[in-house]
Amino acid sequence: MPVTCSSLSVVYGRRQALSDFRLSMAPGEIRGLIGPNGSGKSTALQTVAGLIRPAAGQVEIDGTAVHGLPRRVLAQKLAYLPQHPAAPEDMTVEHLVRQGRFAHVGLFRRYGPEDEEAIRWALDGTGLTALAGRSLRELSGGERQRAWIAAALTQQAKVLLLDEPTTFLDIGHQVEVLELVRRLSREQGVSVIMAIHDINQAMAVCDAISLLQNGVLKFDGPPAALAESGLIETVFRVRGRFVTFAEGGPPHFDLSLGVIPA
Amino acid sequence: MAASLSARPRSAGLLLAGCLLAVALSLPLAVLLGVADVPLADSLATLSGGGSAMARSILLEFRLPRVATGVLAGINLAVSGLLLQRITRNPLADPSILGISQGATLAVAVFLLVTVYSHAPGGNTLPDLPVAWLPAVGLVGGLCAAGLVHLLALRHELGPIRVTLCGVAVGALLHALAMGVIAGWGSTRVEILLEWLAGSLYARSWDHALFLAPFTMAGLALLPVLLRPLDLLGLEAAAARSFGLSYRRAFTAVLCLASGLAASAVGAVGPIAFVGLLVPHLARFVVAGHRALLVPVTVMLGAVVVTAGDLAGRLIGGADEIPIGVVTALLGVPVLILLLRKTP
Repeated sequence: MPVTCSSLSVVYGRRQALSDFRLSMAPGEIRGLIGPNGSGKSTALQTVAGLIRPAAGQVEIDGTAVHGLPRRVLAQKLAYLPQHPAAPEDMTVEHLVRQGRFAHVGLFRRYGPEDEEAIRWALDGTGLTALAGRSLRELSGGERQRAWIAAALTQQAKVLLLDEPTTFLDIGHQVEVLELVRRLSREQGVSVIMAIHDINQAMAVCDAISLLQNGVLKFDGPPAALAESGLIETVFRVRGRFVTFAEGGPPHFDLSLGVIPA
Repeated sequence: MAASLSARPRSAGLLLAGCLLAVALSLPLAVLLGVADVPLADSLATLSGGGSAMARSILLEFRLPRVATGVLAGINLAVSGLLLQRITRNPLADPSILGISQGATLAVAVFLLVTVYSHAPGGNTLPDLPVAWLPAVGLVGGLCAAGLVHLLALRHELGPIRVTLCGVAVGALLHALAMGVIAGWGSTRVEILLEWLAGSLYARSWDHALFLAPFTMAGLALLPVLLRPLDLLGLEAAAARSFGLSYRRAFTAVLCLASGLAASAVGAVGPIAFVGLLVPHLARFVVAGHRALLVPVTVMLGAVVVTAGDLAGRLIGGADEIPIGVVTALLGVPVLILLLRKTP
């Protein structure tokens, strides 16, 4: 199992941000993490990434506990991309993407052919090859987001955690990122956990979905089962219904606007 | 790296050569020129082992140690500023943002207060006092301030904003205490302290250069090890950690180095204004896209700015020389404003 979480709980001061969170992923699985704002999606991702120490429970990657692993060893197994990461404005795209190789080169080792190849591959996969020499200040929000995704990709980790990777992107680039995620999972067996707001994108791309509400796991299973559960309406406090457009296609949530649920 | 360099119009070699030329021009000029007119031939003879007694005394006992102290202090302040700007991710950071200058000032003020009163009543000129202790006292004061800031920041999540806020708060407190000591002193002896406060290379001897040298050498030896962590420390902490950096350890290492560099320089020459703030910006402007050259260029410009500033102060002021701290502030402010206008 690439990733297993056993009854994780995270406490911020007095607030229980995550309680009894469980997760078990197969190699190459794409896992969607959905839930209202403040439901604990980012907290769950950061805990899996070893950035937050849980009050209880444990995260394991390939059977090894995440907490206690040196950062650089962990970074070879797991890449995590925060929501709106900051970087110096005068840094070039190529230089940022290069940072992702730190896990492999460390303090002293020279960048070898396999490092340069990883950088080139990540730039190419995110469509940034032509922009490699630009500074971050010259990029649009979407290009910046892709540059960060490219940096995470150069880690060439088998587990990829993405916190809302499609926000800021126009619909074309959203699809590009989702396609990239799918390619990584299908062709290279990368397991992906991503927090995502768009329910229909989650339904279409993910193999399994975890639904969070106030730090509590409300659902864990395949998209079709989530559609049948009726939980989307209650957890997000909206009215709508799931429809299927094509035989075997993903269920699509059709939101009814102008109706406030009781 | 080679690919990204060749794409740039300005050649890296030319850039380095230009900086080396600036060093090669400013250092000899600072030794050869000064208030006392020493004929060029006499100066050159002195430097090659001969020369008149007067020239030997002026050059070997006064100017050379003064220039050496200036070079080392300049490098220390500039590198410290670069490190602090990077780890606090704040372009306005300099040794005063961590309370280092203020800590050194308070320590020196208290030290002078105590020694002046315990000394013979006639001993109110600088050479009569145990001024040889000032660098060490300033160093300890600066390091204590930085240590306090670090401890306060460590109690919470160590991060750029936390460190900056703690630094500003501790700095303000220490500054107020130092001003209280100075105001309460109520004596003409304040001018001893004022001279140190302005930042000066006046009467700096080989002892000062020897005091600074270990810090400068440790700094220059550690910089290559810290290059990659420094790049990562410029990123958001969560991102840097997920790229594999032990954030807390790297942050602490860079903070300790920056504090040692700044506190030693402030102790030896006083809080020279703007060098730590200005030189990294100047270096960034000069290197343009060549990020790999930023550190060496910062080192060279740190040495040049302080020696050239000191030379200007000596030549303009004549016998009543203008302290280097005043020169760097007067020249530094317009340069900084110009740089800010030119950088998008």
